[in-house]
Amino acid sequence: MATLAPGVKTGPYHAVLDHIHPEPTSFIRKYIFSIDHKVIGYQYMITGGLFFLIAGLLAELIRTQLLSPSGAIVTAATYNQIYSMHGSAMVWMVIIPLVTGGFGNFVMPLQIGARDVAFPWLNLAAFWMFPVAGIILFSSFLFGAPDAGWTEYPPVSLQGPPGTSMWCVAIFLIGISSTLTGINFIVTIYKMRAPGMTLTRMPLFVWGQFGTAGLSFIATTALAGALLALFLERTFGVPFYDPKHGGSPVLWQHMFWFYSHPAVYIMILPVFGIISEVLPTFSRKPVFGYKMIAFSTVAIALLGFSVWAHHMFTSGMVPWLQLPFMIITMVIAVPTGIKIFSWMATLWGGSIHWTTPMLFATGFLITFTCGGLTGFFLAAVPLDYHEHGTYFVVAHLHYVLYGGSVMGLFAGIYYWWPKMTGRMYNEVLGYWHFWLTFIAFNGTFMPMHWLGLLGMPRRVALYDPQFQFWNVFATISSYVLAGSVLIFIYNFAMSFRNGKIAGPNPWGARTLEWMISSPPPYYNYKKIPAVLATPYDFGNPLPYIGLEAAAGAEEATPTAESHPVPTH
Amino acid sequence: MAQRVVKPRTNLGPGFWPVTAFIVVVSAIMAYFTLTSPWPIGLIPAGEPAPATDALFRFLGAVGAVIFNIVTIYTIYFGIVFAKAKNAGPNDIGVQIHDAPVLEFWWTAIPTILVVVLAIYSTKIWLDIQNTQGDVLTVEAISYQYGYQFRYPRLAQPVSGALHLPLNTPTTIHVTSRDVIHGFWIPEMRIKADMVPGLINTLRVTPTVAGTYPIICTEFCGVGHGAMKTTLIVQSQQDFGKWFAQQGGSQRSGGGGGGIPLASGTVDAGKMLFGQKCSACHSTGPFTQKIVGPGLGQIFNDPAHAKLVNGTDPTPQDVANIVKNGFQGDIGTMPSAQMNAISNKDIANLVAYLASLSKK
Repeated sequence: MATLAPGVKTGPYHAVLDHIHPEPTSFIRKYIFSIDHKVIGYQYMITGGLFFLIAGLLAELIRTQLLSPSGAIVTAATYNQIYSMHGSAMVWMVIIPLVTGGFGNFVMPLQIGARDVAFPWLNLAAFWMFPVAGIILFSSFLFGAPDAGWTEYPPVSLQGPPGTSMWCVAIFLIGISSTLTGINFIVTIYKMRAPGMTLTRMPLFVWGQFGTAGLSFIATTALAGALLALFLERTFGVPFYDPKHGGSPVLWQHMFWFYSHPAVYIMILPVFGIISEVLPTFSRKPVFGYKMIAFSTVAIALLGFSVWAHHMFTSGMVPWLQLPFMIITMVIAVPTGIKIFSWMATLWGGSIHWTTPMLFATGFLITFTCGGLTGFFLAAVPLDYHEHGTYFVVAHLHYVLYGGSVMGLFAGIYYWWPKMTGRMYNEVLGYWHFWLTFIAFNGTFMPMHWLGLLGMPRRVALYDPQFQFWNVFATISSYVLAGSVLIFIYNFAMSFRNGKIAGPNPWGARTLEWMISSPPPYYNYKKIPAVLATPYDFGNPLPYIGLEAAAGAEEATPTAESHPVPTH
Repeated sequence: MAQRVVKPRTNLGPGFWPVTAFIVVVSAIMAYFTLTSPWPIGLIPAGEPAPATDALFRFLGAVGAVIFNIVTIYTIYFGIVFAKAKNAGPNDIGVQIHDAPVLEFWWTAIPTILVVVLAIYSTKIWLDIQNTQGDVLTVEAISYQYGYQFRYPRLAQPVSGALHLPLNTPTTIHVTSRDVIHGFWIPEMRIKADMVPGLINTLRVTPTVAGTYPIICTEFCGVGHGAMKTTLIVQSQQDFGKWFAQQGGSQRSGGGGGGIPLASGTVDAGKMLFGQKCSACHSTGPFTQKIVGPGLGQIFNDPAHAKLVNGTDPTPQDVANIVKNGFQGDIGTMPSAQMNAISNKDIANLVAYLASLSKK
């Protein structure tokens, strides 16, 4: 029995953790209404993955329509519904639930050495709002889906089809879910870390979740208010936004972006965390500048609250107010740059294992930098006067959301797949997936930069024939991108059936979740380990004491003398 | 347990300096071409403020190219030279460094300085755009689902179809909308503003190249959004004069209003209309209770404001004239009756309602 190192504090709550609740045996309590954070994490990922496929199909319909300047397949009315649903679903039903509910739930409690989140029942409630919200959102197609884009600016959204009200309800519901998860994660990370895991010893993924939890806890309320007002105005005619009755359409834009700009960071901070886990593990090096990466996460989260009006430079506000919003937006480039440079320095001098998650993480570095740089072009007010509302914006947002969030999610899925399922995936198929994604992604979205600059507005079902060549180019690339997702699905379906057994730590990683069997046992840790240092010192012995051998594990219990090495 | 094989910390890596030199050369070439090319390629600048915007675009483009090269080329280079050696065992690990404060200081300081420089330069261009001269010609652009109308001074009727502007004339365009939010974008001038109902946004341009350019809606406005565009025709001052005369333009001022019959106005109809057409900008409180424009509750008997905003006496006919013609001044801009779709009968009702307020 190891003793805690001197100086490691224990709280009174550690004693009660020796008592372990029995695992539920009924199917319903075990797989449907489970309160186990890991099961809830799987549920988020499966649901979010299904919605990703639906919203991706909508994306392919958008691109197919734009094969012809006069619209190739559907009417303008249908097209408007398709692109609005694509955007809404991708933001609220795919990326946000996957990065927080999915990866946050599965990985974060394991990484801090907890047996579950602080409020498991709240977690259960938050999850079940998600599929309900998704079903409400997608069934709005039956009644006429929302058609004014994912931003739903009134007054045009007041004229929208009946499904627009269902959109309000669905997004309101997912907003509640996201707020509950935020509260849950803040408390979990703050109160339930293993003894010795000080804030500066937390894995960087946990830092990312911490920043995101704060953002979704605070910002989502503004969206809820805006949605409630829109719903009341559409249903009962309460005049919040319609200037004909004394409302203000710009009010919606302020409320909406006060949430939706921080939402951009909700979608990217956990992904920064994933990248910060993957790069050191496969470079076999400590992450470079741990404290600066953690600090810049907090800085981005705080600054993210004071830049929302940069979406509204052309909407009509006091002119001088544009300047502070421009400058604060530009300042965010500094902490983001610190992260990018620190990750590059993590590669330097490494002994790099080029696995699939590593490829995705490095690809992320390049595509996200592109998206960050075009963000600077949009932040500069004079350029925004030209670029606002054009395909340049579409290109920028897909570089940060697909090239950023989704590439990072792919890195995370490949990285933690062995932990989640206990099996390895096929590395060769993984390489194909990455290279097709990287090339086809750039082929799809790169041309949109100059389409927008040269005069193609966004959200149009018809466009000027002079833009046809690059639209066809983007569409063909997007088909290849869809094909790469099929490879990914095939790979994981095969792995699930007959992948090689992974063992507890196939990557030789050093964060806590890799110290227990794959998949982790119910209640994760029989004894809560104590933590002596940051997890990234590949040259040092493991900084954990008090770990017990996982049930059924063939390997010896990891001890303070262990040096984990990659076994695959 | 096998001993760790730690890579020695000797130099920056094989070929580091040649790669750095390569980055410098490539960045210099890209920056040079970015700074000297007419970006964005393929879209001419047809008037103020396009040249100022393009200068900022080129500068940001050059800086962006340099940063992109640094990140991309170093990342690929590190990925290649620091890949695990073929003969390395599973125990092989990288150089164990945690940070390098000097390096971190510089990659925080240099981007900070760069951000300050770019913010100052953007602010300067922004000031140029804000201070672009206008007002020699003032045009109102009014949008609806799905088209544009333009009102010129001394033209009784609004013009549908193309917007005509004379060459080298500093022009102010006030934009607003009758129904939902639309966009007003002239790509060749690099400028746009949203057309928001109940709100007037202003942009200023000086066309310098004659030609025909698109005006494009950039805010989603309904099923007809994709097809919502019109043309801007920039022509010489003589040609513009001819066109203007054809539209019935005259040198005499005013779109009428002198003879609006006010007798038939009713308070109830005026009250309803006020709620629909006026209350977005005007309260029914005293003058100082502003929303966008002043409060109108005491317009006929306010001792603190004995004159109307255009300097005339507060008679019913003068109030009717302001509603009819709209107003532009230091206090703000009010669209004309044409733009608000208010008939003479409506004006009579509104004046009757305003008079009833002032009596209380």
